Amino acid sequence: MSSPHVNVPSSNRRLETFTYDDHIVKLFVIATIVWGAVAILLGVTIAFQLAEWRVNMGIPWTTFGRLRPLHTNAAIFAFCGNAIFAGIYYSHQRLLKARLFNDMLSKIHFWGWQGIIVLAAITLPMGFTTGKEYAELEWPIDILITLIWVIFAVNFFGTIIRRRERHIYVAIWFYIATIITVAVLHIVNSFEIPVTLTKSYSLYSGVQDALVQWWYGHNAVAFFLTTPFLGLMYYFIPKAANRPVYSYRLSIIHFWSLVFIYIWAGPHHLLYTTLPEWAQTLGMVFSVMLWMPSWGGMINGLLTLRGVWDKVRTEPGLRFMATALTFYGMSTFEGPLLSIKSVNSIAHFTDWIPGHVHAGTIGWNYMLIAGVLFYLVPKLWNAEIYSKKLANTQFWLATIGILFYIVSMWIAGISQSLMWRAMDDAGRLMYPNFIETVIKIVPMYWLRAIGGTFVLISFFIMIYNMIKTARSGKKGEEVVYEAYALDDTSLEPNAPTHRKLEGWPVIFSILSFLAIFVGSAIEIIPSVISDKYITKIDAIKPYTPLELYGRDVYVREGCYTCHSQTVRPLSHEVLRYGKPSHASEFVYDHPFQWGSKRTGPDLARVGKKYPHMWHYKHFWDPREVTAGSIMPRYTWLFDGKIDYKTLPKKLQVMQKLGVPYTDEEVQNSVANAKAQAQGIADELALSGVPAKIVEMDVVALISYMQRLGSDYATVPDDTPELATPAVDEETPVEAAVEEAQ
Amino acid sequence: MSEQQDTKLEVMADEHDLLLDHAYDGIQELNHPLPNWWNMIFLVCCIQAVGYWVYYSFMGGPTLKDEFHRDHAKIVALQEDFKRQNSAFKQDYYDQMVANDGLKKGAEVYELNCLPCHADNGRGDIGPNLTDKNWLIAKGTPETLYQVVFNGSEENGMPAWSEMISQDEIYQAVIYVNSLKNTFAKGGKEPEGELVED
Repeated sequence: MSSPHVNVPSSNRRLETFTYDDHIVKLFVIATIVWGAVAILLGVTIAFQLAEWRVNMGIPWTTFGRLRPLHTNAAIFAFCGNAIFAGIYYSHQRLLKARLFNDMLSKIHFWGWQGIIVLAAITLPMGFTTGKEYAELEWPIDILITLIWVIFAVNFFGTIIRRRERHIYVAIWFYIATIITVAVLHIVNSFEIPVTLTKSYSLYSGVQDALVQWWYGHNAVAFFLTTPFLGLMYYFIPKAANRPVYSYRLSIIHFWSLVFIYIWAGPHHLLYTTLPEWAQTLGMVFSVMLWMPSWGGMINGLLTLRGVWDKVRTEPGLRFMATALTFYGMSTFEGPLLSIKSVNSIAHFTDWIPGHVHAGTIGWNYMLIAGVLFYLVPKLWNAEIYSKKLANTQFWLATIGILFYIVSMWIAGISQSLMWRAMDDAGRLMYPNFIETVIKIVPMYWLRAIGGTFVLISFFIMIYNMIKTARSGKKGEEVVYEAYALDDTSLEPNAPTHRKLEGWPVIFSILSFLAIFVGSAIEIIPSVISDKYITKIDAIKPYTPLELYGRDVYVREGCYTCHSQTVRPLSHEVLRYGKPSHASEFVYDHPFQWGSKRTGPDLARVGKKYPHMWHYKHFWDPREVTAGSIMPRYTWLFDGKIDYKTLPKKLQVMQKLGVPYTDEEVQNSVANAKAQAQGIADELALSGVPAKIVEMDVVALISYMQRLGSDYATVPDDTPELATPAVDEETPVEAAVEEAQ
Repeated sequence: MSEQQDTKLEVMADEHDLLLDHAYDGIQELNHPLPNWWNMIFLVCCIQAVGYWVYYSFMGGPTLKDEFHRDHAKIVALQEDFKRQNSAFKQDYYDQMVANDGLKKGAEVYELNCLPCHADNGRGDIGPNLTDKNWLIAKGTPETLYQVVFNGSEENGMPAWSEMISQDEIYQAVIYVNSLKNTFAKGGKEPEGELVED
């Protein structure tokens, strides 16, 4: 494939000297280590919260629903984000023989990103959230993220413009795809209308919102946790192993197929929901097609190690990276498998999914980051690795920790799912009480938490090892490099097309954008422009002001992290919850709250199922009505007052979003809400609840609970005639009725 | 100075022909052909994708709703079959359950399922008092009690327990409830329904 170079007399070439900005890389390395510890510590905390509800500690800021978004955001954007920036800034300069475009931009990038993380760490525990997974940060922070990302992009592409190497290496292809796609994803998914500085409503509603959100959520995994890491892999594995990359041809094929196919796969998160079936089918089949493009990266990495496997045993960096690729291979096989509709009907909403995710985030991302750090830290601080023995201990602890995590979640997920669907020969659910299926898997939650603790300890060992390594470093002179400025000598006029393309980064970037644009447009645009996409039903009415406020409480407390709001058209689900969900039910839901995990039961049909008093007791202490419940207590809802004054503004924003509130309803929203709250308080008073409860958040949340599914209950559907759904949880009813006496 | 490789690149003997002549920061690339198995699986996945998509989107493959209706019809049929077969009271089975600690077990079933409406000792609350001589539907015999527990009564808000608890549990509950009649529990609800003399 090589082609003869154009000959230019050497006297015409300009030799230039330059240095690399490694200081910024060091800063990002330090940030990676700090935030990595925070992210994993949060993960271990919430893992223990699921095993033992008292670990929620009874305060709002430390409760699962608020800490879980902080954990995911910290792991993805703080830990992995800083690692990506460190690795990209180190390799980008060297692959292009050019210093980063602008030192000031690098600094703004670094400090801006850390500022965003700090804001996230403050606002998420306070309950400021958009309620969309991995995109929970509120609108002012969304804007900051956009700005900092643009600065990163300018710095990145500016460096490309000033390069002294004509062709861009495969690592940079992956970086380009990352930067472009993350920008598109973040901006499109974050369209929201502010109510206050800390509260906004998603521009999209219901099915649309779900589609955009999971297009984002899935591709955040693709373009934040996969493509940049593949790029790092393509730089750090050949460097650490001192081996040529296995196949340039495979790099080309798997890069383009990965980028083109990945973007379509989002709807596999919405199988069996009310998303139109053609979109679900696309999500599934593209996920299956994605299997080999993903494995292309794995084989190109692993086969690069051909002949030097002895180094994998002795070099910690290589060992971590090779293991990372193995876990990458495992989870990119599991992913397509989980996308097959019939498999998904078993796995979705269960612990299998967090198990799958962590095979990726711990097995692939953490392991690869560890590999990169073992390469980078000695280079940057001019030192030898302090202790390979400690690195070895870290490796085994992390590996055993991940295996504990994955295996316990397989067992928990599959066995709970089988219990959910188990029916006897009389067509009855064998486990009609959801809580029975939870209690059975709590031991697995303990195992997972122990596995997570192993991973945490392994991380602390690495921190110690890295600090010792850096401290032992000798202060070296700054290295000055020499290279010829870009000139005609590097032109390859007879090169194959792709090789030429590698010399045209702008066109390369445009093509990358088109590759991700096609799938995005075909899946999303119909949902945004077509009125026929979702049939509307007259029976579905907007929420009352109090219910809307209650819904905001639901979002604030992160209820969606454990409860779904969508009944799939599956027989056992219909027996357990009620009739399947309908797309029309969600048209006023900004944002949608379908959830992705059922640690507790689905809530789409919970409206009017229990008396107000049941909910009242349940929020005070779930165990009063459901023995063995693992849900935290929400005692602060009983003394946090309803903030009536924002209601008119909230309704106005909803009006702008197309929810048919009349101006009169907006004007009367406060009076209306107060009257509804009084009605609920009056009923609670019959059971001896003090009158002052009327002012508290819990009343609004109860009003929302009682509304869920109750409009659609009046609509006859075409479900075959069946017996009334099993009464879930006998004891709660008993308790509530007792209370009402 | 330009950046030096620390050590010489390790290239295997059979790879020299495959080594491309460009290098990035010392990284070189081989140009192995794509593995055959990789090509084949990728191809099969793509063909599968097209086939699946065409079948389910254009050739009338069943929708998720069709599949649900088909599955659910089977469940409904099972439920109906079960009702047909078990709606009749079996005296010998009842006697067998009585002999088998039925009263004690029945009290447990009652506590778990019936107590919310009929209250402790059957004195009645949302549901009627079970300790007097008056009956709304049943006539105070095990056979008539069984019918009410098994089928429920929509107009009186009594669920059809055959859909929720096992046959054994139903018989046990009937044994217990049968033992309550004429015990006239303290604080009992006003009598409802027809007076039935033994």
